Amino acid sequence: MATRLSINEIRYIIDGVEQDFRTDGRAAEDYRHVELESRVLPNTNGSARCKLGKTEVLVGIKAEVVDVDVHAPHIGKLVITADCSAVASPKFVGKGSEALENDLTNILSFIYHSTETLPLKELCILPGKSCWQLNVDVLFVQCGGNLFDVASIALKAALHNTTLPKVRVSGEGIEMEMEVADDPYHVWKLDVSNWPICITLYQIGCSFAVDPSEEEVACSEGYVHVGVLPSGDVSSMEKSGAGNIDPTVLLEMVEVGVRVGEDIHNQLDKQLEAEKSLAKL
Amino acid sequence: KAVVSTQSTGKMTADKKTTEVGVMIQNTFEAAVMLEKFPKSQIDIYVQVLQGDGGERCVAINATTLALINAGIPLKDYVCACAATVFQDSVLLDINNLEESYRGPLFMLAVMPQTESIVQLQLDHRLHNDHLDKVVRETIQGCRDIKVLLDRQVKEWTVEAAAAYEIKPRV
Repeated sequence: MATRLSINEIRYIIDGVEQDFRTDGRAAEDYRHVELESRVLPNTNGSARCKLGKTEVLVGIKAEVVDVDVHAPHIGKLVITADCSAVASPKFVGKGSEALENDLTNILSFIYHSTETLPLKELCILPGKSCWQLNVDVLFVQCGGNLFDVASIALKAALHNTTLPKVRVSGEGIEMEMEVADDPYHVWKLDVSNWPICITLYQIGCSFAVDPSEEEVACSEGYVHVGVLPSGDVSSMEKSGAGNIDPTVLLEMVEVGVRVGEDIHNQLDKQLEAEKSLAKL
Repeated sequence: KAVVSTQSTGKMTADKKTTEVGVMIQNTFEAAVMLEKFPKSQIDIYVQVLQGDGGERCVAINATTLALINAGIPLKDYVCACAATVFQDSVLLDINNLEESYRGPLFMLAVMPQTESIVQLQLDHRLHNDHLDKVVRETIQGCRDIKVLLDRQVKEWTVEAAAAYEIKPRV
């Protein structure tokens, strides 16, 4: 996403980040205002819409019963697809968004592929035979910087309200049969208490910041994605973008990432719990 | 490009059906937009279906009409679209996905309400000639009803926008 900035603007933005006072008054660790709406798509199993500054993301989750992976017969599957809508920018028409979409899909899949941290065992129906596959569609309706974090927040919220039909397994051995419940109220929900959130830290000048705006992203030289669990543990990490990152700065980045991640998890969980009391399901 | 829709999951690239709908929307609005006012320029319309439950083409046309008005692009008239089917001799307007899957005749009409001229007409599957007149009349009525709703929204916007300049328009 190329934004046109003059040399002076770039200098101004970088100086701001280095002095912990960015162009919109935020400190390096501050996030913009987050708006989250759940269950916006009734045709899906779970959905959420998240708006952070100018970035707006729509996540829809659909579940289907599939054959189990030969290498992992006791767990379910999670397939994430990212799509940049042409509505977000004329550059995204046709193949224009392919590079960005691949990047988004890969990073999000990476954050959410750790079988040790994710309770994918819950998604298994018949060990060795069938399991649930959650198809997660992430649609970027507007792009205003910090796409990965918004997507992961919306993903967690969508997973929180995802309802899966109960499956009745009967029979023994080879003759095991499963019956998926038809009743829309005969459902169960996933336990999202241990799902990570992606916090991306962008290196800007000699310092770093979270949740950059589009202009700040244009001034950044490289960024680190940290997958943070609610407990404060780091589930995954990846460095992207062009630019070298000093190892000591990297450690600081991870520390800040964990701090910010824990805070976001707390606030998000509080809101999702409050939401639970509103809905019946 | 419909990513999150009823039955499909995962990525949907520009397939033939989507391109066809795109061309249809383009033809519809080439008739409605006052193109003479925009020499040597191009107006791009991007439509994103967030969720599909039948009648996506009609909703796309109605939404595009509103979007063009919101963008301040002069139109000759509103373009209102409505879909209908015939089931056991009665006409059903605005059918959803479940009703579409019945594979009865799927009749879509896009109309410019003031002159009641038909901008687009699409019929899928088979429709008996005896029903044609009835379907066209009722669908045009459906389009007129939609025009009332679109008009209401446009008037709301006008009042809001004018309030910023402390003008009270007569709507």
